[in-house]
Amino acid sequence: MDSLLLSQYLIAGIVIGIIYALMAIGITFIYSIMKMINWSMGEFYMMGSYLQYFLVVYFLGAHLWFVGIPLSMAVVFGVGMIIQRYLLRPMFVGEMERKDEYATVITVALMVFFRNLAVVLAGPNQFAPPDYAGPTHIGPLPVSGNRFVALIGTLVILGLFYLIVKKTWVGKALRGSAQNRVGIQTAGVNVLRVDQIAFGIGVSLAAAAGALLAPIFLVWPENGAVATMKGFEIIVIGGLGSIPGSLVAGLLLGVIESLGSVLISPSFKDVYGFILVLAILTIRPTGLFGERQRVA
Amino acid sequence: MAGRHIIFLAAVYAFLAPIPLWLGEYFIHVVNVSLYYVIMAASWNLIAGYTGQFSLAHHAFAAMGGYTSALLVIHSGLPILLGIPVGGLLAGAVGFFLGTLCLKMRAIYLGLATWAFAESFRITLSMGYRLTRGDLGLSTPTLLATGQALHYYYIFLLLAVVGLYSMYRIVSSRIGYYMRAIRDDEEAALSMGVDTVKWKRFVFVVSSFWAGIAGAFHGHYIGLLSPVAVDFNEMAILIIMVITGGLRTFAGPIIGAVFIELLSEFLREYGQIRMVLFAFMVIVLMRVNRDGMVGLGRRIWPALKAYVKR
Repeated sequence: MDSLLLSQYLIAGIVIGIIYALMAIGITFIYSIMKMINWSMGEFYMMGSYLQYFLVVYFLGAHLWFVGIPLSMAVVFGVGMIIQRYLLRPMFVGEMERKDEYATVITVALMVFFRNLAVVLAGPNQFAPPDYAGPTHIGPLPVSGNRFVALIGTLVILGLFYLIVKKTWVGKALRGSAQNRVGIQTAGVNVLRVDQIAFGIGVSLAAAAGALLAPIFLVWPENGAVATMKGFEIIVIGGLGSIPGSLVAGLLLGVIESLGSVLISPSFKDVYGFILVLAILTIRPTGLFGERQRVA
Repeated sequence: MAGRHIIFLAAVYAFLAPIPLWLGEYFIHVVNVSLYYVIMAASWNLIAGYTGQFSLAHHAFAAMGGYTSALLVIHSGLPILLGIPVGGLLAGAVGFFLGTLCLKMRAIYLGLATWAFAESFRITLSMGYRLTRGDLGLSTPTLLATGQALHYYYIFLLLAVVGLYSMYRIVSSRIGYYMRAIRDDEEAALSMGVDTVKWKRFVFVVSSFWAGIAGAFHGHYIGLLSPVAVDFNEMAILIIMVITGGLRTFAGPIIGAVFIELLSEFLREYGQIRMVLFAFMVIVLMRVNRDGMVGLGRRIWPALKAYVKR
């Protein structure tokens, strides 16, 4: 195998890995603040892809696809805030027993709810939005235009996410609540509001992934399932609650899948990630960058 | 002692046996499927409701029992009635390993680990198509020569009665107290001398075993197995059933499974709106009344009694 072809697969792996990482960062971000797993993450991804499709096809037109992405993110952000307010905030108000159980049941029910709502509203068919861009080159390597756009879009969104978390007052409050929920309240921060914003940001990252990947993986009611699967794999590998861990694990997973499918066999593509997950869970259950305690 | 229990079980069986005489062929089939879900929901409640280990791999154990039994019967010519217990035992053994892997894990990691296990099992099923025929589905030999649902009803009813009775015995015995102690406070249970490792493994094995048995019977009844049965949707349906009926109550999963299965049959013509409705119902129940229908009944019944007496 010549090195040009190999590096082409490597690039493909890195591209898809970074986009998977977007999903994983959403999951881990919500976890680090609310200490819950959002099992309906893929449905927010689905929502983002549907919104993007309908915006691009019926309102904006194919050339304005880049306007659609922030709009669909904003809508999903709002939906996430409302869901958090009425369904998940009660976990933190008053005494609730077995919060994990409550969160799991609610988010699994939300998953069923949105999946089937999509079937009811838009039918079980697949939709294909128009291509974002034609094939281009990274250096000498040809790459699909849609994947290139998704890569650039993901990097821009991750950059914005970094700026919000590191440089703004809200970001400081978010980091504070991740460290100590009681301590941040003594500093005069409304931790319930912070939860709401965190949930909104987390699900809008999923929506961004959905909107960016819409022309590649298409739009249908269960298109979030694969993305959620990859997202959960990444957080187990990288460690729950660690954002750098999600990035590294995302790249790792993308490269392993890509190289595994070219060097070993493409039909086992989905298995490589799980072998890694089960290995990590038995050897180092907290993941590569995870918190010390696995008591959560 | 034992004689009395057998008489009681026989009475329950005899009481429920004539039900299909009033039903059509298709509806008996629906009842059979709901009996399968009764065993699944009750055995999941054993681990999630009574022991507090919110496992998300229960559907995988059912498929494991089904595939094991079917493959043994097809390839080694084992009689079906021997293949089914082997399927259950294998599911129990795998449950032991999964339980051991999850011993030290709490809620969130347990959910992730069991989910990862179920997903990898599903992918293995569709990838190992040389053996399992992958997504094409494996057609299994049926248990009885006749395709009549009525005959299967008596088998499923026997299975459900025996399964529920054995689970009831566990829950109402000393072991049931250990399980609830582990659920409510594991450290406190440990310090009071409950062997948490032993009993957590035990519950994993028992609930996986019953899932395997139920899955194997279901496989030999329907005559087709496919990796779709390990889709996360299937687990979601189990959760919906148990929550609707009432988590942590013995009657809850039984009522919930029958209720959801029958209701989804009655509403079949409305298509996917059923699932939207069920999910919405679960969300409302979780917000308003976390004990499900059993809890609602327990709350309404005394009020009703007081009203009648007045």
